Amino acid sequence: MEYIIEMLGITKTFPGIIANDDITLQLRKGEIHALLGENGAGKSTLMSVLFGLYHPDKGTIRMNGQEVHIKDPNDANKLGIGMVHQHFKLVHNFTVIENIVLGVESTRHGFLSMENAKKKVMELSDRYNLKVDPDALISDITVGMQQRVEILKMLYRDNEVLIFDEPTAVLTPQEIEDLMQIMRGLTEEGKSILFITHKLKEIMAAADRCTVLRKGKYIGTVEVDAVTMEELSEMMVGRKVSFAVEKKALQPGQDIFEIRNLIVKSRHSQKNAVQNISFKLRRNEILCIAGIDGNGQSELVYALTGLQPVVSGQLILGGQDITHASIRQRNAGGIGHIPEDRHKHGLVLDFNLAENLVLKNYYLEDYQHQGFIKFDAVYQYADQLIQQFDIRSGQGAFTPARSMSGGNQQKAILAREIDGNPDVLIAVQPTRGLDVGAVEYIHGQLVDQRDAGKAVLLVSLELEEVMNLSDRILVIFEGELVAELDPKETTIQELGLYMAGSKRGKVQ
Amino acid sequence: MKRIKKIMALWMVLVMAFSLAACGTKPAATTTTTTAPATTTPAAEEGKYELALITDIGTIDDKSFNQGAWEGLKKYAEEKGITHKYYKPTEKSTDAYVAAIDLAVQGGAKLIVTPGFLFEPAIYKAQDAHPDVSFILLDGAPHPGDYNIRIEKNVYSVFYAEQQAGFLAGYAAVKDGYKNIGFLGGMAVPAVIRFGYGFVQGADYAAVELGMKSGDINLMYKYTGDFAATPENQTLAASWYKGGTEVIFAAGGAVGNSVMAAAEQSGTKVIGVDVDQSPESPTVISSAMKMLGVSVYDGIAAFYGGTFPGGKSVSLDVNTDGVGLPMATSKWQKFSQADYDAIYDKLVKDTDGLASTMKNDTSVKAATEIPTKVVKITVVE
Amino acid sequence: MMPKWIGKSNLLSEKNIVSLTSSISAILVGLLFGLVILLISNPSQAFAGFKTILFGGFTGGFKGVGQVLYFATPIIMTGLSVGFAFKTGLFNIGASGQFIVGAYAAVLVGVRLTSLPPSIHWIVALLAAAAAGGLWALLPGILKAYANVNEVIATIMMNYIGMYSVNYLVTRTVYDQLRNQSISTVAVLPKWGLTTLFPRSSVNGGFFIAVFMVIVVHILINKTTFGYELKACGFNREASRYAGINAKRNIVLSMVIAGALAGIGAGLLFLAGSGKHIEVVDILAVEGFNGIPVALLGMSSPIGILFAGLFIAYVTQGGFYLQLSNFVPEVIDIIIAAIIYFSAFALIFKNIMSKLIKGRKEQKQ
Repeated sequence: MEYIIEMLGITKTFPGIIANDDITLQLRKGEIHALLGENGAGKSTLMSVLFGLYHPDKGTIRMNGQEVHIKDPNDANKLGIGMVHQHFKLVHNFTVIENIVLGVESTRHGFLSMENAKKKVMELSDRYNLKVDPDALISDITVGMQQRVEILKMLYRDNEVLIFDEPTAVLTPQEIEDLMQIMRGLTEEGKSILFITHKLKEIMAAADRCTVLRKGKYIGTVEVDAVTMEELSEMMVGRKVSFAVEKKALQPGQDIFEIRNLIVKSRHSQKNAVQNISFKLRRNEILCIAGIDGNGQSELVYALTGLQPVVSGQLILGGQDITHASIRQRNAGGIGHIPEDRHKHGLVLDFNLAENLVLKNYYLEDYQHQGFIKFDAVYQYADQLIQQFDIRSGQGAFTPARSMSGGNQQKAILAREIDGNPDVLIAVQPTRGLDVGAVEYIHGQLVDQRDAGKAVLLVSLELEEVMNLSDRILVIFEGELVAELDPKETTIQELGLYMAGSKRGKVQ
Repeated sequence: MKRIKKIMALWMVLVMAFSLAACGTKPAATTTTTTAPATTTPAAEEGKYELALITDIGTIDDKSFNQGAWEGLKKYAEEKGITHKYYKPTEKSTDAYVAAIDLAVQGGAKLIVTPGFLFEPAIYKAQDAHPDVSFILLDGAPHPGDYNIRIEKNVYSVFYAEQQAGFLAGYAAVKDGYKNIGFLGGMAVPAVIRFGYGFVQGADYAAVELGMKSGDINLMYKYTGDFAATPENQTLAASWYKGGTEVIFAAGGAVGNSVMAAAEQSGTKVIGVDVDQSPESPTVISSAMKMLGVSVYDGIAAFYGGTFPGGKSVSLDVNTDGVGLPMATSKWQKFSQADYDAIYDKLVKDTDGLASTMKNDTSVKAATEIPTKVVKITVVE
Repeated sequence: MMPKWIGKSNLLSEKNIVSLTSSISAILVGLLFGLVILLISNPSQAFAGFKTILFGGFTGGFKGVGQVLYFATPIIMTGLSVGFAFKTGLFNIGASGQFIVGAYAAVLVGVRLTSLPPSIHWIVALLAAAAAGGLWALLPGILKAYANVNEVIATIMMNYIGMYSVNYLVTRTVYDQLRNQSISTVAVLPKWGLTTLFPRSSVNGGFFIAVFMVIVVHILINKTTFGYELKACGFNREASRYAGINAKRNIVLSMVIAGALAGIGAGLLFLAGSGKHIEVVDILAVEGFNGIPVALLGMSSPIGILFAGLFIAYVTQGGFYLQLSNFVPEVIDIIIAAIIYFSAFALIFKNIMSKLIKGRKEQKQ
C-alpha cells in the first residue's frame, strides 16, 4: 500500500518533558486515519511537527516516499498539507468567500478579483456537498457551517492531506453525522485525512485505521474494523474501562424541587428562551434534560441557580419558594451546580485549588472567624477533598487551578459541589471535553449521589450519556418540553427525532 | 533549553554591565580633577559651582523670572570665568526650595539667586542655615510665611519701582499716537497696582506734553482678579479691542497670553510686562520691564567687589537701571530712542518732581483718584 | 507543628521570589538604560553620575534618607490605591482626582477647623481626605457595577472634574491670592521622632501611617474573607457571581477603598508641614499618576508597593543629587523618568521568570 505521509521515529522533547517518544505514523492515500489519545498524550505535538510549527529532535518525515523538511506552515501548505484547527481561524466580519481566499487572493491590476475564486469555491462546494453560501457573513452562519468554510479553505488551496483537530467537539449530533459524510466524500475523491480525537464512537463510525498514543509513546496502529471500542479504549487509557454505567434499580423518592410555569428571557435576544416549563425533580433520580444546544437549557439552568432572573413562574425547593432568592441563599438552601463552562463559572483559575474548593463556603464559621480566613481549616479541608475525590495536581492544595488538567479541574468542581451536600445537584455537560477515564469517574459519582437520596438534574448534549445515565428524560426543544421518555423504553434514534423537533410526545 | 540559555545570556549581559559600571565609578572619581579642564563649561569640576540659581516652578527658559535672572547670572559668570549652575527643586514646596538651596551650597555655591517671591519663606530659613552664603532674592523679602520680614546680612532683597516701568509704557504709547488705550491687570496686588497707576500717569504726562485737551485719551482700567490665561480674560480683552481700544497693557502673568490671543485675532497691539515679551507674540510692541538680568548682574558684581548690599530691601528704579522699556525690540512708529532717553533722564533727575511725586499704591486708593488733565479713565468693574 | 499554609505563603514562597526577582531585573534594566543616557549626555561624568543615582537618597546622608521617605509617602499611597483596585480587576486611573479632592478636604479641615486641639486636628483632616477620596471613587464604582461603564473612562473624567472643582473651591474658601495657591494649614502631622533621626528633612509621621496602611491593606487582601471576595471578583467576576458573592457591592467597595487610599496619600502630603500648597493650575495631580508605575513595579502587592514607592523616591532623590555633577536638570528628569518607565516593565520579567522556573521543574521531573 502506498503511503502519502510517513512520520518515522519522531521524537520531540520540551524542557523536562518528552512530548513525542519515537512515534511512527503512516497515512495511506485515500484513507481516514484516526489519531487517538487522552489529553496530553502528544497528539497535538505530533501534528504541530507535521505542520512545521515544531521541529523534531529525531526522526524523518516522508511524503510519497521522498524525505521532506517542513520548516514552517508555509512549507506544509506547499506540500499540500492543510489543517482545520479546533478553534477556527476565521474573520467574523468577512464573508465566506473572503475568508476562503484570504492569503491567496487573486488580483487584477491590483484590485481584488473575486469572480474566478467564487466559481472555484462553488464547484468545490457542490462536488463535496458542502452547501455553503459564499456571500454569507461568518458571524451569521452556524458553527457547523464555519467548519465547512475551514474545509473549503483547505480544498481551495488544493491540499491533499487534511488534518482535522478534534472537529466534533463543537458540533451537534446531526452536524457530526454530516461531517462524517463529508469526510467520506473527501476520501472518495482521493484526499487523505488525519482525524485527531479522543471519542471512540466517532473512530468506530468513520475511520479506516487508528494510531494510538499514550503519554507521548506510540502504542500501535490498528485496522478499526478488527477491534472493538473496548480494546481501543484499553489501548488509549492503559487499563480496562467500563462504558456501561453500573446503576442499580431504585424507586424515585419524594418530590424535592418543583418548577412551575417557568418563563426565562434569552441571553442573546428579547425572545423567551424558556417558555412555560414545569416539572418536578425527585430524590433517588437522575433526570436528564436532553436537547440540541441552544434550545433553552442554559437559560433554564441559570434561572434555577439564580444566575438569571425569571420572567414568571415559581421555583419550589423542599417546600420553600426560592424564585427570587439570591444565589447564595440557593446554594445554602441545597442546590449544587456543576456549571456548563468550568472556566467561566466553575473556577477562579488564578486561585489555587484550596481557594477554589472553598469558593462556596469560605464565609461559614468553619473557615473564617470575624472576617479572617482560617487558613489551617481551609487547607485541611482541601487536603481531605483532594484525597477523597482523587484530585491530582502538581502541588496539591497549592496548585494554581489554571495549571490543572481539565479532568482534574472538573473533579475539583465536583468535589466542591458534592461535598456541599446539596439535595439537588444540577450538572451541565459534566463530561464535556474529558477523556474516558475522567468520564467514567464522574458518571460514577453522579450515580452515587442519586443512590444517596439526592436529586440529580443532568443537562447533556451527548445522547450516549443521556441514555446511559438517566432514570428519566425530558426533551427540550425551542424552550419547551416536548417529551418525557424512559431510557429503557426508547432508542437513541427516537430521542434524536424528539430533540430535532420532528416528533412530540406527552409531558407528565 | 533554548529559552533558558537566552535568559541566562540576558542575565550575563546585565551582570557584566553592572560590574563594568561599578569598576567605572572608581577611576572616574579619582580622575575628575584631571578631566575637568577638558570639559566645555568653565572649570566644571564636580561639586564646585560658585554662582547658583534655583528655579521656581517653571523651566529655565520660561521667558520670565527664571530666564531673566539666569541671563544676568550667566553673563557675569562667563565674563569673569566663574563656575555657575542652576538647580531644580524636586517639587513646589518651601522644604523642597530649602533642599535645593542646601544642595547648591553643597555644590560649592557662594552666592545663590532665587527668582520670585515664592522663595520668601525658603530664604527666611536659608539665611540662618547658611550664614556664609549670600542670597539675592528677586521681587521678595524673607519672612516665615506670615509677612513678618527679617532680612539678615547675607540677603539682598530686591524690589522694583513698577510705577516707573508703567509710567514709561503709558508715556511711550501716547507719544506714539495711541488715543484709546487700556490697562488689564491681574490680581490687585501692590506690584500690579503700581504698574497700573504709573501707566495712567505716564499717558497723561505725554498727552499734556502733546497739548491735547481733556478727554482726548480714553483709558480702560481693570483687574481680572487672577493670574491665569482663561477664556473669560480673552473675551474681555477682545471686547475692549472691539470697542476701539488700540493697545492694552497686560500686567498679570498669564493674563497677558489671553490678551495676546485676542490681539492676534483683531490685529491690535499689546504691551507686555516684567520681561521683554516680544518673542511671545508679534502683537507685543513693547514691555514694561523689570531689569532682572541687570539687577542680578549688578548684585553679583557688588558681591565680588566687596560691597554686597545685604541686610536690606531695595526698590530698584530708573536710577539703577532697574526698570525700563526694551527699545531694541520695541515696535514704536513715532516714539524714538531720543524720546525715550529724554523722558528717562527726566525721571532720573526727578524733573518737576516726576519720580518723587508719582502716585503709587500707598498714596491713592483707586485709579480714579489719580489727578489727570487729559486722560479719561473708565474703570471696568 | 507549623501550620502548612504558613510554609507556602510566607515571604520566601516561590511566587514571591518570582515577583521579587522580576521586579529587581526590571529595575536593573531601567538603571542600565539610565546609564546609557548618562553616557550619551556627558561621558566623562557618566559613571560618577551613575554612582550618585545608585547611592540615591544616601548621597545626602540622613537628610537624604528622610527626603526619600517623605517623597515615598504619597506615591506609596497612590500606588496602594491603584494596586488595590487592580486586585479586584479594576484599573483605577482616577487616583489623581481622588488625590486632589482628598488634598482639598485635608486643607479645608486643616485651615478652618482651628477649634480642634492640634493632636486631633490632623486626624480629622486626614479622615476628611480619606472620605473625600473615597467619595470621588464612589461614582465610577457605581457606574461600573450597575451600568457596566468602563472604570478607566469614568475615573479619567473624574480626574478633570476633581481638578477643576478643587481649583474653584480653593479660590472660594482657602485662597492665597498672591501666590495663587491654598493658604497654609494649621493642622500638621506629628513628627514622631523622625526629624531627630533625619535632621533638616521633610519626613514626618506620615511615612509611618503609609507603612501602617500597607500592612492593613496586606492583611485585608490576604487574610480576610473580604479580600478573598475582592480577589475572586477581580480574577473572575462570573465565577464569583456563580459562587454567590455580591460582585457589584464588591466593585463599589473596592473603588471606594482605593479612592480613600489615594485621599489619605494627599492628606499625608499636604499636612506634612513642608510648605506644600494646592496650586490653582489646570494640571492633574502628578502623584496620582505616579501611583501607576509604583503599583506595576510592586506587582500590585502591598509589600511590593511599599518597596517600589521607596525605590522610585530613592531614584528621584538620586536624580536631585545628580545636579551636583555636570548634568543639565532637564536631562536628569529624562534619566529618572526612563528608569521608572523601564522599571514598570516588571510584569514582562515575571513572565520570563515563570517560564524559566517552569522549564527547570519539568526538567527535574
